[in-house]
Amino acid sequence: MTVNRKAVPWIILGAAAVVAILAWKPTVLIYGVQRAGLYASVAIPMALVLGIVHIVNLAHGEIMMVSAYLTYNIARSIGLDPWLALLPVALVMGIMGYFIFQLTIRHTLKAPELNQLILTFGIAITMTQAISLIFTPQTRKLPLSYVSMSATIGETSFGVYDFVYVAIALLMGFGIKWFLSNTRMGKAAVAVGQNPRGAAIVGIDVMKTYVFIFTVSVILVGMTGSVFMTRQSIFPYVGSPYTMKSFSLVAMAGIGSISGIIYSSLLLGIAEAAINGIRGASGWSGIVFFLIIIIVIAVRAYKGRKL
Amino acid sequence: MKKPANYIFPLALIFAGGLLPVFLGAYPQAVARSVFTFMALAISWDMLLRSGQISFGIAGFFGLGSYTAIILSVRAGVAPVVAMLSAAAFAALVAFLLGFLVLRLRSTYFSITTLALGEIFKVIIHNWSSFTGGPEGLVLPQVVFGGKSSSLYWLSYAILLFAVGASVLFEKSKMHFSLTAIRNNEIAARTSGINIFANLLIAFTASSLIQGLVGGVHVMSYGFAMPDTAFDANYTLLPLAMALLGGIHSTWGPIIGALLLGVISEYLKLMIPYGHLLVYGLIIILVILFMPRGIYGLIKKERSKRNG
Repeated sequence: MTVNRKAVPWIILGAAAVVAILAWKPTVLIYGVQRAGLYASVAIPMALVLGIVHIVNLAHGEIMMVSAYLTYNIARSIGLDPWLALLPVALVMGIMGYFIFQLTIRHTLKAPELNQLILTFGIAITMTQAISLIFTPQTRKLPLSYVSMSATIGETSFGVYDFVYVAIALLMGFGIKWFLSNTRMGKAAVAVGQNPRGAAIVGIDVMKTYVFIFTVSVILVGMTGSVFMTRQSIFPYVGSPYTMKSFSLVAMAGIGSISGIIYSSLLLGIAEAAINGIRGASGWSGIVFFLIIIIVIAVRAYKGRKL
Repeated sequence: MKKPANYIFPLALIFAGGLLPVFLGAYPQAVARSVFTFMALAISWDMLLRSGQISFGIAGFFGLGSYTAIILSVRAGVAPVVAMLSAAAFAALVAFLLGFLVLRLRSTYFSITTLALGEIFKVIIHNWSSFTGGPEGLVLPQVVFGGKSSSLYWLSYAILLFAVGASVLFEKSKMHFSLTAIRNNEIAARTSGINIFANLLIAFTASSLIQGLVGGVHVMSYGFAMPDTAFDANYTLLPLAMALLGGIHSTWGPIIGALLLGVISEYLKLMIPYGHLLVYGLIIILVILFMPRGIYGLIKKERSKRNG
C-alpha cells in the first residue's frame, strides 16, 4: 500500500485525536462513527448524482423522507418488517425517481444551472407539504425492539444498532466505486459527467445515462430512508437538514470523490458527537457542521480551485 | 427619456396603496401588511438574483433583523425607530463582512452557504439564552404605535416603498448593466472592466439591509420573536416563489407575484391548516418548466409584439 506523503501529518493528527477522545469519553467515538455512517449513507447517493453527472438535487433529503413514510405505512398496514419492506419500497422509489427525472429534471439539463436548483427546491417543498397534507405534521415512530440492542465493553455500554449505517455506507461506497470503474454504464456516467457532448460523440446515450444514474441515486437514498425510519422518529421536515448536510459533505469531499465522503462524514460525525459529549453544550452541536463546511468551502475557494 | 405618461400609472398606484386603510377594515389591512412584508423580501431577493446569485438566506437576515430590533428594545430600551434602523444596519454590516467570504462562491455553493449562514444565526440565538431569550424568545412590552392598525399599515407600506425605490435605483443605474453582465458572462464582464466583487458586495449588502429592515419592522409590529418563527423557512420560500411567478430580474415581477400568491395563500391558510404551501412548491416547479420569465415576462413579450 502506498501512502501519499502529504497525507502523513493528517493521519498522525487523526490518530492523535482518536486517542485523545478514547481517553476522554470512548462513547463519543462510537456515537460519532455511527453518526458518520448515517451521514455518509445519505450523502453517497448525492455524491453519485451531483459529483459524477452534475445534477443538482435539492430534494435529496426529502426523497429519503418520502421513502421513510412509505416504509412506515407498509410496515403499519400489513405488518411487514421494515427490513423486508426495503425491496418493494426500493422498487416504488425507482419508479418515482424515473418519473421525477423524465417529467422535470430532464427539461432543465440544458437551461442555466439556477433553474435546476430552483426546480428541485420546488420538488422538495412539494414533497414535504404533500406529506404534511396527507399525514399531518405529527411525529411518527414504529416500535421495534431490535433497534435498542446494546453492547458493553469494560464499563461503557452503548447502542449497537446504528452500526448498520456504517455497514450501509461502506457497502454503498465500495459498490459505487466498483460500478464506476468496472461497468460499461459506470464508465459512461463518468464520461458524461466530464463532457456530455464528447460522450455523445463517442456514442454514449447521454440521456439514458442521466436517467439511470438519477434513478439509482433515488433508489439508494430511498433504501437509506427505510432504514432511517426503523431508528428515528419521522415527520415531514425530517429530511430537509439531510439535503443540506449531504450537499455540504459532497462539497467538502471534493466533487466526484466517493471515499472523500467517508472521511468528511467521520470528521463531522465525531466532531458533533464530541460537542454533544460536553455537558450543557449539546445545543451547539448543530453549528459545528455549518462552521466546518463554511471553512472548508472558503479555504477551497481561496486556493482558487473551481467549485 | 420615457414619456411622462409612463410615470402616471406607478404614481397613481403608490397613491392608491397609501389610501387603502381609509376603506379597509382591520383584517384586510393585516393581510395587506403580510403581503407587503413578503413583497419587500421578494424584491430584495430579486435584487441579488439579477447578478446571477441565488440566495437561500432571506430567512437568515430577516431573523437577524428581527432579533436585533427586539434585543435592542428589550435589553437597552431604545426607541422603536432606532431599533428598526439598527436592525437594517446590523444585517447590512453582517452581510458586508460575510460577503468577503461567501461572494467568492458561485451557483449552488453560494446558495447552500447562504442557507447554512441562516442556520448558524438561528443556532446562536437559540443557545445564547441569557441574551436572546433562547427557544422561548423575547416579548416586547408594547408594540409600536400601540398596535393601531392603520399606522402599522403605513409603516409597512413605507418599508415596501423603500424596497421598491432601491430596486428601481438598481434598475435605472449603472449597477443594472454591471449585474446583468456578471449574470450573463463573468469573464466577459471582467474583461470589460467591471469590478465583479464590488458590485456583488453592494447588491448582497443592499438586499440584506432590506431583509433586516423588514425583519425589524415585522418584529416591532407583532411584538415577539422566537428562533423558530423569526427564522421560519417560509421567509425564504414564499418570496422566492412570488418573485418566480411574477417574473424575475425586474421590480414589477415580485410585486405582481406577491400580490397574487399573498392573497391566495391567505385563503388557503384558512381552508387547509397543514400543507397549504403545497401550492407554492407546485408553482415553483410549473413556472420553471413552462414559464421561466414569469407573468411580467409574458406581459412584456405581448407588449413588444403589439408595438411591432
